Amino acid sequence: MTIDIYWRIGMEGDHASLRTPRRSNRGHAGGYGPGNIAPAIRDGELDGYGYIDHMAAVAKASESAGFLGGLLPSFPVTDDPWAVAAALARETTTYRFMVAFQPGFLHPVQAARMSASLQRATGGRLVYNIISGGGGPAQLWWGDKVSHDDRYARTSEFLDVLRGVWDGAPYDYDGRFFHTEGAALPPGLAGQPFPEVYFSGSSGAAVQAAGRHSDYYLSWLEPYADLRAKFDGARAHAETFGRTPKFAVRIDIVARHTEEAAWAEIEKGWAFVDRDAANRAAQGDSVGAARIKGWVPETITGYHDLEVQPNMWCGFSLIRGGPAFGLVGSYEQVAERLDELIDLGVDAFILAGNPHLEEAYRVGEEVLPLLGRSRLTAPNSEAALSFSR
Amino acid sequence: MTEFLWRLPTQGDGRHAGAATRHRGGFGGPAPVTPATDVRPGRFGPFDDLHQIIDAAELSGLDGVLAPYDPLGEESWIVAGGALRATRHARVIVEFQPAFGTPVYAAKVSATLQQISRGRLSWRIAVETEEADARARGDRVTGDDRYARAAEFLTVARGVWNETPVPGAGFKGTGFEFDGEYFDVIDGGFRGILSGLPFPTVYLSGTSAQALELSARHGDVHVFTETPDGITASVTELRERAAAAGRTVRAGLEIPVIARETEQEAWARAHRQWREVHPEDPSGDLALGDGRWAGFAELGYSQPVGLVGSYEQVAQRLSGYIEAGIESFVLVGHPHIEEVHRTGEHLLHLVDPAGRTLAAQEATA
Repeated sequence: MTIDIYWRIGMEGDHASLRTPRRSNRGHAGGYGPGNIAPAIRDGELDGYGYIDHMAAVAKASESAGFLGGLLPSFPVTDDPWAVAAALARETTTYRFMVAFQPGFLHPVQAARMSASLQRATGGRLVYNIISGGGGPAQLWWGDKVSHDDRYARTSEFLDVLRGVWDGAPYDYDGRFFHTEGAALPPGLAGQPFPEVYFSGSSGAAVQAAGRHSDYYLSWLEPYADLRAKFDGARAHAETFGRTPKFAVRIDIVARHTEEAAWAEIEKGWAFVDRDAANRAAQGDSVGAARIKGWVPETITGYHDLEVQPNMWCGFSLIRGGPAFGLVGSYEQVAERLDELIDLGVDAFILAGNPHLEEAYRVGEEVLPLLGRSRLTAPNSEAALSFSR
Repeated sequence: MTEFLWRLPTQGDGRHAGAATRHRGGFGGPAPVTPATDVRPGRFGPFDDLHQIIDAAELSGLDGVLAPYDPLGEESWIVAGGALRATRHARVIVEFQPAFGTPVYAAKVSATLQQISRGRLSWRIAVETEEADARARGDRVTGDDRYARAAEFLTVARGVWNETPVPGAGFKGTGFEFDGEYFDVIDGGFRGILSGLPFPTVYLSGTSAQALELSARHGDVHVFTETPDGITASVTELRERAAAAGRTVRAGLEIPVIARETEQEAWARAHRQWREVHPEDPSGDLALGDGRWAGFAELGYSQPVGLVGSYEQVAQRLSGYIEAGIESFVLVGHPHIEEVHRTGEHLLHLVDPAGRTLAAQEATA
């Protein structure tokens, strides 16, 4: 079995590097300054392109750099991943769209219809990232007051109904959150491959819900011991359903030709630490976020304090939005850390870096080819340059 | 406003200087096999990579792309056709040598490309190609005769071209006659859908007297290459010859660039690439002392001398060229997508703020 490796698309605009203050000069989320891209400025006017054109570039870069597809995350302030996946479906070839969504905001029969159509449009390249919400102000912004554990119960029902209507036979359901009578996908839409499910959540309720429904149990990067314990718990729970879960980890990467060059990137970004922004982002009832918070010391004398094990740095959320942990090091070191995670039981990765476009090439061309060197001999295969489409 | 074009790669692309490790575009061999799921083999072709570069140039606000003539690389007319279809704003310059066919046929193909692109095609004529390449193509015209042929080529191509619409009339021409050393036409001239289109802007290059004279009489833009002695004398000679012919010809410069946030990072990049191709001579001490570096040809560029420095330094040097009379640049750097973004995001608005900053204040999201 091979390891599925995805790359994230920034759905909120992107910036030219981690070294600068957070100004999104790609797209329109940060206004329009000199050097803006998508739209760019020509003859004193915006040139009519938009951030979707840059996202298309990231998707194409990801597939040609060797990634299987990409995570399209979902936040209140970002473009919506269903819409973006639909837009990019026909201008990509192999790219799998891992659409992130919260089951609470979409009726499962509607989700089944959208999914089936996307499968038809892409030849089965849709993947789900089911998130059940981080609580706090963001959850209320969406208009969702359901409590933490109930959100997972709702997710579980959602996936019951989605699978129930998928094969086209009339389906009745009478749950706490969803009710259907004779619901089904129409014959033209039924019969597509069901998307793989990447399930996010660190709490007991999440593990409960994931056990029945997930193909991959997705976690942010954490220190190895914590990840191992998390995987063990999920594995034990899934066994009670007779299932064997697979594991995926979402990791930010700063890889350079030398370790010093990689840390130099962090050092430059460290000049723009925003602790308040990181704390605001961590509000809510997310157990995953709380676990991460416990790792970030209250008093930090320098960025090196946050290297909690070799090449694993937990300061990312202080210099840009998103998870705290990531890998920092030489191409070889980062590949070795990924190999260690594979040894620990990881079956899939969602990698990311800023700027997403250039870093997709860098990681795809410099890090991924080194995978397996430290743990196994890669299988020989015939060079496949023949090309047909 | 100064024109900034990007030279597209003809033999693939990649992060490294050595050709064998440049995997993008299928010229450097397949990527290594690893435990990662790889669904690419058989599903991606070289033009997927090339079009990502074309997209990058278009989205980064470059004014256009050059599809270069390279007998060992992708064919420039095919690259240009795809590039015009894939862009809305970019000018696409197709470089070709005049023995590729008849001038009437070049004009015919170009009329179609002008039609599909609303007039964004330009020509760059490669007059002096390598001898071995010419022999291999069966082209027996050598030396100064090549310039005489190029002059006839352009005369005929312009002669059959009608920029104002002419109604179609079967196979009838518009009365263009030509009886030359190399080409003959009787009652030539485009009508119908082939008429009413702008003739491609003509770019030429070279430093010989014959090259400059050809531009003076037939060219629109003459593209120079930087040398250790600079380009000022050549630009002056071009001006004088054009004036003598009663024409004006714009001066252009094709130059590779390594620009980074700091001067130190830019030089570290240049030297790292140098060490990849010259591990036995790691110094790579080819700096000309003023931000120019003479080691680019060794890194796989078609020009020896280029610019290395911080964004501000490189911008200043480019501004210096503008003051020296350069109106059109062809920039190049690899890996192309990454360097195009640096150019669009950090460089062009410093060199040429006119048109690259918003005229009207836009609402900030």
